[in-house]
Amino acid sequence: MHLGKTDVHPVETLDGCVPLHISIGSVPLSLFIRERALREPASRRYREFADRSQNGFPIVLGKTSKQVAESGEFSYLLDDAELVLRSQDAEFHGVRHEYALDSLLRILLTMVLLPQRGFLLHGATVVRDDRAYIFFGRSGAGKSTIASLSPQGSVLTDEISLIRYSNGCWQAHGTPFWGEFRAAGQNRLVPVAGFYLLKQATEERVEILSVKQALRALLPCVLFFASEKSAHETLLRTLLGLIEEIPCHRLYFRRNAEFWKVIAA
Amino acid sequence: MSGEITRNPNLAWREVDGAMVIISPEDSQVHELNETASLFWKHAEGKTLDELVERISAEYEVARETARVDLEELLAALGEKQLVFVAPEEKG
Repeated sequence: MHLGKTDVHPVETLDGCVPLHISIGSVPLSLFIRERALREPASRRYREFADRSQNGFPIVLGKTSKQVAESGEFSYLLDDAELVLRSQDAEFHGVRHEYALDSLLRILLTMVLLPQRGFLLHGATVVRDDRAYIFFGRSGAGKSTIASLSPQGSVLTDEISLIRYSNGCWQAHGTPFWGEFRAAGQNRLVPVAGFYLLKQATEERVEILSVKQALRALLPCVLFFASEKSAHETLLRTLLGLIEEIPCHRLYFRRNAEFWKVIAA
Repeated sequence: MSGEITRNPNLAWREVDGAMVIISPEDSQVHELNETASLFWKHAEGKTLDELVERISAEYEVARETARVDLEELLAALGEKQLVFVAPEEKG
């Protein structure tokens, strides 16, 4: 997957369509959205992720669904919307609202980040003392609860965390992908301190997970859409590399901010 | 049942703390093998059940029949989950 800036020339317009340049997880993207009804909400939604580089990976939005993948393409159909990903560009078809755009962007990012030791995780990211704490779990685990119990401005996302290895360490990036705790997000990256699998309980307690336990906990929470064996091997390699360096825990917590006491301890 | 045993070639797998973690890309199902099954996974590739019975009974000093029963049980369990296949035995 090509996403470098070396041989992609700046794309000013495509059939007169001025692209919306954004960057999520240090992945520069240029969205070509012709429909004003979609372009304006998208500009608002991703305003914190606006990018000056202007030579992002081109994504062209079309009206109709293509539904036929050609050789060398990755294709993913989500309700009426479809993502077609090639090595040099991508097409989104049948996107009628910003939520569908959000969903296809997430799928695209999982594919683009994979060879770069990066992935999306069902998790809330909270920054404390300049380090990122990832609270992860499936729907209903308490991600939004943790986010709502955290100080304003400390939450990078309450729903989808973006983790990738860069500059010699694992970093958490802010994302525009939010759940209940709706916000525009912050486009910044923070070194990861630890991962915490959420478990609601009657007392605060934290226990360290073994490599195997951590892998078993993380795998179902990773957003992943590829079906090739090589992609799964890459994911396994990435997660095991992460677990070797970053501690993973199970966090038992109640619906109050006391959980920080056991994390700090 | 003594055709050649092969791992399902579509699976992604890694050894973690001595145990195999296997992902089936088709349905993203994660399988975690116990120590015995992990050993089987590592050593069964390209072997027949008869060859494995010989090896296990010699290495672990167990009766051939005991080894055969255990290995057949393991092979059936892994086969049911389509983690391994047994090639049809050649005749003639």
